[in-house]
Amino acid sequence: MKQILLITDGCSNVGQSPVMAASFARQEGITVNVVGIIDYGTIGEMGAQEIQEIARAGGGMSRLADTRQLSRTMQMMTRKTVVQTIQQAVNKELKQILGNHQSLESLSPAKRSEVVEVMDELTETSPLDVALLIDVSASMKPKLAAVEEAIRDLMLSLGAREGSSRIAVFHFPGSHGDEACVQDLGWTSDLESTRSLFQRLVMKGATPTGPALLKVIDFFRYGTLNGHQTDLGEKGAGEGILSDYVH
Amino acid sequence: MTTSTDLDLVPGTVIRGRWLGGSYRIHKLLGQGSNGVVYLVQQENSGRQYALKLGFDTVDLQSEINVLKTLHERGIRRSARDSASFLIEVDDAELAGRQVPFYIMRYVKGEPLSLFIFRRGADWLDLTGLNVLKQLARLHAAGFVFGDLKPDNIMAGGYGDVELIDYGGVSQMGRSVKQFTEWYDRGFWNAGSRTADAAYDWFSFSVVCIHLLCGDELKRAARSLPQMRTNQDLLKIVDNQPRLKPYAGWLKRGLTGHFEDSREACQYWERTVCRRPAARRSRKPTPGWLTGAFVVSVGLLGSALYLFFR
Repeated sequence: MKQILLITDGCSNVGQSPVMAASFARQEGITVNVVGIIDYGTIGEMGAQEIQEIARAGGGMSRLADTRQLSRTMQMMTRKTVVQTIQQAVNKELKQILGNHQSLESLSPAKRSEVVEVMDELTETSPLDVALLIDVSASMKPKLAAVEEAIRDLMLSLGAREGSSRIAVFHFPGSHGDEACVQDLGWTSDLESTRSLFQRLVMKGATPTGPALLKVIDFFRYGTLNGHQTDLGEKGAGEGILSDYVH
Repeated sequence: MTTSTDLDLVPGTVIRGRWLGGSYRIHKLLGQGSNGVVYLVQQENSGRQYALKLGFDTVDLQSEINVLKTLHERGIRRSARDSASFLIEVDDAELAGRQVPFYIMRYVKGEPLSLFIFRRGADWLDLTGLNVLKQLARLHAAGFVFGDLKPDNIMAGGYGDVELIDYGGVSQMGRSVKQFTEWYDRGFWNAGSRTADAAYDWFSFSVVCIHLLCGDELKRAARSLPQMRTNQDLLKIVDNQPRLKPYAGWLKRGLTGHFEDSREACQYWERTVCRRPAARRSRKPTPGWLTGAFVVSVGLLGSALYLFFR
């Protein structure tokens, strides 16, 4: 199961539409969830609407949260998305077996109980990859400590699952103009590696949400941000990274 | 997805089961659990009172029901004095044109443990605590962990009877803990994983005890920076607070997971907390006004005797 979790506090303003990028992700089998951080009420109506649309296009969910609720919100979304992904697959199967108007809800409680048991099993054991994409434009600066803590907390919860769980962390925008997003952490299950992620960031104003999403989709595909040019990925990602980490 | 506000039902509403046809009249809201809303209801034909839980989400509620079923099959009772089953009926209701799952369970009279302790006195933690540990031990023996243990999820009544409510967080051992609440969560204190094991519940139980007796100190410790938080903070409270002294031995082992198994955890509580030397019962110092009154009355007696024998 593949998920992107986008954390932002405002509207995108550079490059392709993030809604289009999210729709693209969905076609690739990646669900996109979005958290809008609203600590100082900065998100605005435009931002809130965009967040909702990105999530809808990405087949995921969106929530507005302040930094205190962030950790809880991220875990709830990740878990719900896993359950929903499985539920969709199960409903599809049920339709094939039982006919078109069948879904989990229409089964008798006794039968439902058996199906949900299997679903719980899958929820707990299916391999899960979550890529976190963090907006670090200037207004996010005071919130990054909370974001980092929430990432650690998410890892702690995912680490308790029976199935393998990995996270990767990216931030956007990059430090120079043409860099849509930067990798902070490659696929990992190691709790310790989630510490001190964003310490040496240079904050910038632009918010290229769309291009950054597209980059992360590439990462799911090729394991690097630079598409098929395999080796360059590590070099470009200079900031606050554990570049020596090898999974 | 159903949200809590959709399930806001007025007293008098009748809920009818689609599969079994049972009907229940809503009396009042009892509370909100993680997976749904709990109402006090009256069964229409028998007049009996039950608790009814309406689910927010079909899968989540069914998952909870599955756990309750397994507990029943493995012979786990709700409390020591009560052989009632966890589950009485499972059905779906039609509400506002949508199908909403619900289940019926026994109605538990009682009050949250915090209130019970507040009214009866801190001493009562000795017995209620033991009863909570016993109930946890029963769950552990069946291969489950309670998970979301907190004062709100412990109902106390009578002379220290205890019942755990909201089984939405109950998780199979070895799997991830389904639901938890910050303060009582081992992960929150950087004191271990969120994998369900018996020690997870011992930890939560320890924090519950600290919360009940030294709430302010706990609140202060919980406010420290996330990366600085450790269970050393909790151990320090246990060491420094005189109110926790009788429990200190148990709490230190509970916070660090140092019990062989849950039976030992119960026995150790019984031995060190319930049967502690009688010396502890702190006698309140005699109030000043009483001493004064005594002196005055002796004086009066003296003068009365003096007047009498003069």
